Amino acid sequence: MRRLLPLFSFLFFLTLLLVWWVDSRQPKPVELIPTLTGQPEYCITCHADLPEISASHPVETFGCVSCHGGERLALDADLAHSTMRGGANPSDLSVAEISCGGSNCHSGSEADDRDHIQRVMTSVQATYAGAIASIRYTFGAQTDLAAHFGIAAVSDDESQTGIKSLDAFNPAIDSNPMLQKFGENCLVCHLHAKPQEGEAFARQTGCAACHSTGEHTMSTAIPYTQCNACHNRGNYDLRTMTFVERTDQPTSRLADYYQPISQFTKCEYTLDCVDCHTRDETMGDGDIHANQASIQYVQCKTCHGTLTELPLTKTLTDPNDIVFRMAFLNPIMDLKLGDTIIVTEQGEPLWNARQLPDGTFEMVGKATKQYFTFRPVMGTACEQNPDQQESNYCHECHAVEK
Amino acid sequence: MTNLSRRDFLKLVRDGFLVLSGALALGGVLRFLDFQPNPAQKTQFDLGSATNYPIGSRTALSEIPALLIHAESGFSALSLVCTHLGCNLGEDESGFACPCHSSHFDAEGKVTHGPAAKPLSPLRIEISEDNRVILHTS
Amino acid sequence: MYFFILHLSSFILFPMPPSFFHHLHPPTIPTAQARWRHTLAAGGTAIFLMLILGVTGILEMFYYAPNPAEAALSVQTITYHVPFGGFIRNLHYWAAQALIVVSAVHFLRVIFTAAYGHPRRFNYLLGLALFVVSIMLDFTGYILRWDVDICWPLTTGTNLLKTIPVIGDFLYRIAVGGNEVCETALLRFYTWHIFGLTILVVILGVWHAFRVRRDGGIAVPPPQLRADVTRIPRDELVRREVLTMFIVSIGLILLSIFVPAPIAAAMSVSIRESVTESVDVRAPWFFLWVQQMLKWGDPFIFGVLIPSIILALLALIPYIFPQPNEAEIGSWFPKSNRLAQIIVAIIGTIIIILTFINR
Repeated sequence: MRRLLPLFSFLFFLTLLLVWWVDSRQPKPVELIPTLTGQPEYCITCHADLPEISASHPVETFGCVSCHGGERLALDADLAHSTMRGGANPSDLSVAEISCGGSNCHSGSEADDRDHIQRVMTSVQATYAGAIASIRYTFGAQTDLAAHFGIAAVSDDESQTGIKSLDAFNPAIDSNPMLQKFGENCLVCHLHAKPQEGEAFARQTGCAACHSTGEHTMSTAIPYTQCNACHNRGNYDLRTMTFVERTDQPTSRLADYYQPISQFTKCEYTLDCVDCHTRDETMGDGDIHANQASIQYVQCKTCHGTLTELPLTKTLTDPNDIVFRMAFLNPIMDLKLGDTIIVTEQGEPLWNARQLPDGTFEMVGKATKQYFTFRPVMGTACEQNPDQQESNYCHECHAVEK
Repeated sequence: MTNLSRRDFLKLVRDGFLVLSGALALGGVLRFLDFQPNPAQKTQFDLGSATNYPIGSRTALSEIPALLIHAESGFSALSLVCTHLGCNLGEDESGFACPCHSSHFDAEGKVTHGPAAKPLSPLRIEISEDNRVILHTS
Repeated sequence: MYFFILHLSSFILFPMPPSFFHHLHPPTIPTAQARWRHTLAAGGTAIFLMLILGVTGILEMFYYAPNPAEAALSVQTITYHVPFGGFIRNLHYWAAQALIVVSAVHFLRVIFTAAYGHPRRFNYLLGLALFVVSIMLDFTGYILRWDVDICWPLTTGTNLLKTIPVIGDFLYRIAVGGNEVCETALLRFYTWHIFGLTILVVILGVWHAFRVRRDGGIAVPPPQLRADVTRIPRDELVRREVLTMFIVSIGLILLSIFVPAPIAAAMSVSIRESVTESVDVRAPWFFLWVQQMLKWGDPFIFGVLIPSIILALLALIPYIFPQPNEAEIGSWFPKSNRLAQIIVAIIGTIIIILTFINR
């Protein structure tokens, strides 16, 4: 006993030394107090090397937690990550309203008609309403082609299209095995559905599906590869109701387009999708649409006009015009007051296509920053019948051999 | 080594390590108590564009608290914290009065009567590239 | 530091006039009363653990913010940011869990060595009350984390009070301070934990220790029936106690370094919104057996009545069961109190089985 006490006194001292030693080996927490929240967060203790998400979301202002959620004080990875919204992707549609929404952010206020989250939720990219309706009609589950179902239930009382709501499509209500297979295999690409396992189905979800153009990057300069993640990775087989992954290794941009029957003009495979297709077409216009055809409207003539009409243009007179904000977010062109840009028949600006003094146009690729000039059809040798002005008629002459 | 000194040695070892352990524990507790859980106080204030403060203006900024002076020679600022025991000063006809122990300072920050002994401390002013006034409290 | 002070008090304060310390440490005691294999050092360890809990608890109070918006965040601050904060919190946690185990061991020792007989019957009740209050302290302390994992145990635990006929709502109001488990509950649990229940434990604990000596020390047969008549001096007793404290301290410190106390994401302000699938719905380990029974039916019967009956049965052991034979007091598993041993063994086994079923 007399020897035990000194021994244990020594061991006790050793364990206390161990406590100090363990403490001295703790990594030093790195504090960040974003000016927006004023609340300290310690995410960058580990995540210091992440690139800035975008110039509009500097980390000093937004921090990490206002978008990602998570336990801002925790230094244990599991606990810190346990309450992150949408896992690694806070823009997943299940949480986008909390992460990205809010009247100061992407929900916008009622007045300025900028509820981007609502419009994406109700867009055909998310609902898949048209295909669900036509497949159900084809297999006799409904008697008309009207849209009744989306992948998730959505509603909009003010929808201008007459469709005020869609119910969530549940393939189990249909007895036809083809429809059940359709439900299993064909919904997963659309924004409101969870992506299926497998490389061919790999895509991001929610806002990031289109806007996340790199690791921890959000951008409005969206290259065609981003769209290809869904739109160009194989084809569906309606006889078996399955998706057939593409197996080729494309070597050129033209070959990269994978719809075997499709035709393309040079500009269609040189430009990026977002150079022509507008925000309303890609993100929805806030109304519930029955199918893709009801929302997609930009044609060759939108920029090139016809033999009898010049493309629609608009001269910028309002310094608060939304185009200046769009050009600010993706500064590829020095838009100024007084510039004349092309607008679509629905009045959406194609702000990267500007009229030159001689009546021709210049265009800068939103993602490639490539510079192009082009002229209107009017006054050219085009022999197209005036009432056949959709793009497929243009392809008859202008498509490139694949 | 005699039996007695051996016993004393063991006792010394026992008590020695106990004292050392006590010191480690005490040091740990002191470090524990020394932590500041609240975020560090703001020491830099953006006061907006310099054009908001014309020459000759004297602006009391109660939230800092400080007095921003724009004289011919340029911007300067005085802390409006009493140099006695740190109460916030109130403005009166002849300068600044402390509500706690009745110290008084003139408009230039000099003590007109105690108990405060030191004049009001000047604060550093920086004019940014885009002509904004930045005030530093430390 | 607690240790340091205790040590000083035991060695340096000796020359001082008789004190409570001397009451607990008479000049000599029978060797049998200080044998490890007899006492298992459980009672003394329990007191030592309470001292650790007091000191680490006070330290935690320097940073803990008892309001629903900040509570879990302040726990995270203690755990991750305050120097040694995580260690001190772990120490508090493990000492609390050890206290339950050690108290249970102490209780079993008292039963299995027939140490509860006259004149120790009342002190047996004090000990049982201490055990119950310690469990309540552990439960309230667990609730103070105020993170998502405490939602269901808090809701169900306090709703159990409501099922008690006549006084249920009254007890619920006392415990929770409102009609819905929300803002008021945290402040109530905080005050119960650091003040109400703690003061009870101190009073009961001092009384219990005082009665141990007043009743003749650790239970051994009366002098004329003792096989071993040797005695040990006060110094030797203190030395054994100090050695126990060293061993317990080293064990707790190592545990606290390597095994962190549980923690989960902060609760959002509304308790119901915080509950998602990922939340741990299991009761704290010492109530797992009750939670298992609650799956069987009526919450009052299984959650209140049966535990109360068990407690009442245990409390009545010294009063209604045959008194142990004096010569057998202090020896393990004496014949004269077989019935009490069997009943406690059965109850203990059932509780352990229920706990493991519900793992």
